[in-house]
Amino acid sequence: MMARKGTGGDTVSEYLDQNPHLARWVESLRDPCESSKQWAARREFILRNMEAFPAGQAGLDRLLSLSMAWANHVFLGCRYPQPVMDKIREMADGVEVHEAPVRKTRDELMGRVKRPGAPGGEDGCVKRPSASSGEGHSRGVPPPAKPGPSPHAPAQHQPFFNRLYKAVAWKLVSEGGFGPNLDHFEILRSCVETSKASLSCVIVPLKDIPDLPAGRAQKEGQVCELRCQGVYLGTGYGRDEDAARAMASKEALKTFQGRKVTVKICRRRFRGRDVEDVVLVDEQPRGSAFPPALGYPFPVRDSALLAPPTSL
Amino acid sequence: MGVPAFFRWLSRKYPSIIVHCLEEKSKECSGVRVPVDTSKPNPNEVEFDNLYLDMNGIIHPCTHPEDKPAPKNEDEMMVAIFEYMDRLFNIVRPRRVLYMAIDGVAPRAKMNQQRSRRFRASKEGVELAEEKHKMREEVIQRGGYLPPEEIKERFDSNCITPGTEFMNNLAKCLRYYIADRLSNNPGWRNITVFLSDASVPGEGEHKIMDFIRRQRAQPNHDPNTHHCLCGADADLIMLGLATHEPNFTIIREEFKPNKPRPCSLCGQMGHEIKDCQGMAKEKKGEHDEFADSIPVSEQEFIFIRLSILREYLERELTMASLPFPYDFERSVDDWVFMCFFVGNDFLPHLPSLEIREGAIDRLVGIYKDVVHKTGGYLTESGFVNLERVELIMQAVGVAEDNIFKKRKEDDEGFKRRMKEKKKRMKAEQGPAYLPTGQFAPQAIGGQGRPHAIENARHAAYEMRMQGMNQHNMNAAQSLKAKMRNGNKSSAGPGDQDSRGMKRKAEDSDSEPEPEDNVRLWEEGWKQRYYKTKFDVDVTDDEFRKKVVKSYVEGLCWVLRYYYQGCASWKWYFPFHYAPFASDFKDIKNMFTDFEKGTKPFMPLEQLMGVFPAASGNFLPTSWRALMSDPDSSIIDFYPDDFAIDLNGKKYAWQGVALLPFVDERRLRAALEQVYPDLTTDESKRNSLGSDVVFVAKSHPLCDFIIELYHAESHEGTEIPAELCHGILGTLNLDDDPILPNKPVESPIPMLRDISQNSAVGIKFMDPQYKEDYIFKAVVLPGAKIPNKVLKPHDWEQSNHRPWRPQLGFNPNRQQAHLDQSGFRALGHHVNRNRGGGQYGHGPSQSQHRGGPYSNAPPPSSYHQGNFHRGQPSSYSCNRKRTFSQYVSLSHVLSMWLGSCVKHQDWRVSIISLRIGSAGSLFLGLRGSFRMVNLAITNSPTPISPTFTPVRVKNILIKVINVNIPDHSCF
Repeated sequence: MMARKGTGGDTVSEYLDQNPHLARWVESLRDPCESSKQWAARREFILRNMEAFPAGQAGLDRLLSLSMAWANHVFLGCRYPQPVMDKIREMADGVEVHEAPVRKTRDELMGRVKRPGAPGGEDGCVKRPSASSGEGHSRGVPPPAKPGPSPHAPAQHQPFFNRLYKAVAWKLVSEGGFGPNLDHFEILRSCVETSKASLSCVIVPLKDIPDLPAGRAQKEGQVCELRCQGVYLGTGYGRDEDAARAMASKEALKTFQGRKVTVKICRRRFRGRDVEDVVLVDEQPRGSAFPPALGYPFPVRDSALLAPPTSL
Repeated sequence: MGVPAFFRWLSRKYPSIIVHCLEEKSKECSGVRVPVDTSKPNPNEVEFDNLYLDMNGIIHPCTHPEDKPAPKNEDEMMVAIFEYMDRLFNIVRPRRVLYMAIDGVAPRAKMNQQRSRRFRASKEGVELAEEKHKMREEVIQRGGYLPPEEIKERFDSNCITPGTEFMNNLAKCLRYYIADRLSNNPGWRNITVFLSDASVPGEGEHKIMDFIRRQRAQPNHDPNTHHCLCGADADLIMLGLATHEPNFTIIREEFKPNKPRPCSLCGQMGHEIKDCQGMAKEKKGEHDEFADSIPVSEQEFIFIRLSILREYLERELTMASLPFPYDFERSVDDWVFMCFFVGNDFLPHLPSLEIREGAIDRLVGIYKDVVHKTGGYLTESGFVNLERVELIMQAVGVAEDNIFKKRKEDDEGFKRRMKEKKKRMKAEQGPAYLPTGQFAPQAIGGQGRPHAIENARHAAYEMRMQGMNQHNMNAAQSLKAKMRNGNKSSAGPGDQDSRGMKRKAEDSDSEPEPEDNVRLWEEGWKQRYYKTKFDVDVTDDEFRKKVVKSYVEGLCWVLRYYYQGCASWKWYFPFHYAPFASDFKDIKNMFTDFEKGTKPFMPLEQLMGVFPAASGNFLPTSWRALMSDPDSSIIDFYPDDFAIDLNGKKYAWQGVALLPFVDERRLRAALEQVYPDLTTDESKRNSLGSDVVFVAKSHPLCDFIIELYHAESHEGTEIPAELCHGILGTLNLDDDPILPNKPVESPIPMLRDISQNSAVGIKFMDPQYKEDYIFKAVVLPGAKIPNKVLKPHDWEQSNHRPWRPQLGFNPNRQQAHLDQSGFRALGHHVNRNRGGGQYGHGPSQSQHRGGPYSNAPPPSSYHQGNFHRGQPSSYSCNRKRTFSQYVSLSHVLSMWLGSCVKHQDWRVSIISLRIGSAGSLFLGLRGSFRMVNLAITNSPTPISPTFTPVRVKNILIKVINVNIPDHSCF
């Protein structure tokens, strides 16, 4: 049972071997129907955080509850209100789960993805080395979450986008090449889905965007930003949501016209300030800066900026 | 249990168990509704003793109906519930007992299902409101019209859970309802009414079962009581069989799939919310006078006769050449048990057993084999013989592999057929050939009568030639196409583009299939199943054993629950998925007994256990906080979004909701802190209540109860068996009783107080038995098994008469038919333009129209309501007696009069009669033409010569020169 766990788990079991008293105590907290895998992860979660909670049943129950909330999130796919998510994310820092199951929440199933950057199960709440990129092996523990994307993100995502690049290329060939008369969104969506991921859109009315270049005459219409696996693909403007989405898809597909695509960390405007974002770029040097970000999937220092998620 | 699927399967396999209900409708005279006298014999030709209402099956459709606009407020909901119960009472007409049971706090085993329903309902409600809002804006921007938004709050159906204020109010309203009907309705005069509201723990149907079980275990029980249980759940059928009462009938709404629903945005029929255009409302009738009439047909009821199901089962389950005498009753119990494998509310069903794939037949086959081999049955009085169950499971397990493969094949075949069908439909929109000219089809009831056919031969010739030309043209076209494309394309029009179409269909046409990682049809399915569903390796035997053990416990618990009552309030199945049948190995010792002395949750505790945080408004503030505060010690119970595993299904609502389970210890510990915050009212709602029994003054038990109140005896008193048809139980004084001559205040503003109350109520407790008492699952001595209804297998050999099937309950039922004079009358009056009768005159004759016997059929869209004021024409929507479709009321009446002398027991039950001065007969009836049908039902009691004259505003028909037959000659 112990052998199958990763490095973190081994330390834990060693530690428990040296403290049989503690081992017995923590074992009593196991749910009889919990799988060993889940229990190993939750045990580590408990052990890492037990000092922060007051001794006694009430404190323990709070810890247990948060450990269950975290385990439910990781293994069952539950989502909790944001304050709870923030808290368990913080507490889970350092706990590594291998091959956590990938679940689709009800909202995602109903096409109501509210959280920018949520698909792929990567939400910063748990390090899911394998789930994030869809590859089988696990990777080293990224440094603890600091504001902005992790510096390893481009390397993590590059393989996926290489595959997506191929998928898009073939799809465009079968559609007769890139051109203005395609259903760009449909093409992008189907390619992303054949690559076993999903697109997320953030749509915001134009008038709600603070960072617009001055002198824009238009005030009506919608702006759409597309992301895949948390990586920014493109922005588009249109009269209504569909048109905006189509335009954003077209912009994103343009990126795929080069000889390759690269995941990079770039600076963008977001709600009136500069933030670091993971973006997908082609080889051409970009003439202008990126459009301001509409949604931002990474923690920002000022929590008020983690703005209300916008729905599709 | 997969309710529609199980019921559909059962009613297809055993069609004779279903009998349609006949319902007598109340009349309306001068705008006053005259209630039906339910003390009269039951029009269904059967008399029921006890009617049990599983109230949740009534509350849900009345508070948030699917096929009509929702009631505006709580008061309207209550009135709708009352009306629904009145309808049921009118159909069933119980003579002894009416038992109403509302779901109380359920056993823990049910909590997972309740949680998942409520978490989903809450999200669905929010989504609908959002969609409504979005669509509304869109429609209004496009210039559409929508009725103004109602001010009413969204009704959260989650409040139909014990412990909420709504349920409390409902209990109050039901007390009022019972007192009112006992005081004012003659049909209720002699019945005993039991009310088990939400404060009494237990699910409604199981409280009813407990009542029946505990009554029949005491010596005064009448073994020939005819029970009728109302509710739509398929497990009621199981419960009914489990009682082993010979006369048991279930009544439920007829299940009609794909019933039209009104658009939830504009309230009109014919489209869904996402297609709402905001069109102006279609005018109903010339001056929109029918705007309020409900455009859908009223839901009809059916009886499910369990005695006939038992007959069917006896045929199917009987095993010849057993080493011991065959006992049908035991094999019924085993059948019930096997149905649990296929689905029940407490356990997920086994992946290999799917009711649509004939799982029950498969099980029955295996079962007979096992009984032969092991020499015994699977169950006894609700206790399971696990050794034999293991044999069954192993036999299913052997086939599992093939079942999954076959399922995949069937599934693909189905998809292929659907695709082809879709293609066909696309290709040929509309019929292949339509006659034109004077042969062109015309709408029924459309403007302008069809003309007589002229020169038919010539017209037919022309059409023929036209068809030939068309054919030639097609051939030419396909030839051209062939030449264009070389020999790539085969012959036939439309074929040349099939290549392009096909590709497209494969690429993007079909909706994206949910990804299925388990692929049960491929080698290694077991491994993948455990990995994806449980996130464990298949080598983890210990874990797998745990799942199997829990499932085995579950089977034992469920069977015990059905036969003996709740064995443990605490037990539950702690996984989201079932194991495979082949995993049931060495299960013999996996289960011994349940923990004794467990207690149900208190109502508010259970609310905390089943509600999502979004329904927290039903809870006290400090309790509610526990659902959202990050520092709450039970925050993990309340995710605001959760994963749904489609598990091979297509829609989110069919999938498995992966909700965390509730840790009872932590829940109780957390609530301990907030218990002091309850107000007195909330504490009262949080307490467990008692059943209450009500009777009217005329009931023999009434004086006994009043005596108890006078004596103020504060200990329980047994009901004397002779006062109440042998029903026993303990009575305890009610704190705030309903007493005769004590006015009952109406809890609903639109209903009046009862000033002349003649009902009395008192707390009631079922007869008590020792904890280890076992209720025997047998037919009681003295019970008469009802006559056989099904056609005997050897009928042809032994009889030379043709078999006459029995319709309905009465074996000697008179078949309604018309004699010669009736047919003549019919033929004489039927509208010739619509294919007249055998004595039709000629097509040109139409002077009948508009005459005193006008027979124009009514506009086709309004089947209901009394809009035919003063028009003696008739239109019936009862499909059982089709001859009335185009026959006007006067014809029906004359047919009736023509044949009532011959058919002895025809009786006018709705139509009131008055004999005029010159021997003429006046027939009055309400403008609703359903009544006419009922008028022709035959009834066992002859028509009574003493008619109560009723003045009728709407219709007064005079039929001259009819001799009213004397009573004796009927």
